[in-house]
Amino acid sequence: MKKEIKINIALLGQLKLASVIEASTLALLLCVAVPLKHLWDWPGAVRAMGPLHGLAFIFYGWVLLQTVGAGVWPRRQIALLAASAFVPFAGFFASRYIRRHIEALDREYAAK
Amino acid sequence: MSLADYYIWLKAVHVAVALLFVSGVVATSLTLALLSTMPRESEKFVAGMRRYDRWVTVPAMIAVWLFGTGLAVSGSWFGQGWLSAKLGFVVLISGLHGVQSGRLRRLGAGASPVTVRSLPLVLFAAIAIAVLAVAKP
Repeated sequence: MKKEIKINIALLGQLKLASVIEASTLALLLCVAVPLKHLWDWPGAVRAMGPLHGLAFIFYGWVLLQTVGAGVWPRRQIALLAASAFVPFAGFFASRYIRRHIEALDREYAAK
Repeated sequence: MSLADYYIWLKAVHVAVALLFVSGVVATSLTLALLSTMPRESEKFVAGMRRYDRWVTVPAMIAVWLFGTGLAVSGSWFGQGWLSAKLGFVVLISGLHGVQSGRLRRLGAGASPVTVRSLPLVLFAAIAIAVLAVAKP
């Protein structure tokens, strides 16, 4: 049981990192790259940030599926965490939520 | 070296890592399907499967995505029907691998095995990917 909690904490740490990267690349894409393209006619930033965000999105989805396989979340939370990848800035809230979950698991681990 | 020369090497590496990735996913599917029928002392086997998944299957999956994207860009194939369908199957097989990888971790932590029947889906996706990549219908 203690080993399972430890593995879940490690997985959630990866998910938190993935959500921060995903949210940051989406924010950069929407707030910097897209205005540069449409207001200053400079499409280079979108060409660079687009694939980078795509890779970050795939990484987040993959780590989220790992946590699903490990049985960390109930279905409703899985749906909310998946939806957060599609809404700008929601990934930052998701990472805070994941951090709270990690802290709860840390306390559970220490109590055992 | 011309772009055509690079293309053949990109393709060769992409096929090689795709073989490693699919074989790893098939092995994990088989493990998860049969583990509940195995004798109780299977911790070492699960630990070995986890190591293989971590050091071979996951890097192969990342390489498949990178080289596949490079090939699609070099051939200007993005937007074509066959590639969109192939991408759908690649996402499916990668997603299944993510879930399986999580289950392996859980088993490694001592959870009791639950029979998972993802193998037919993995095999179907692998065949579909091969047909779509070669025939480009």
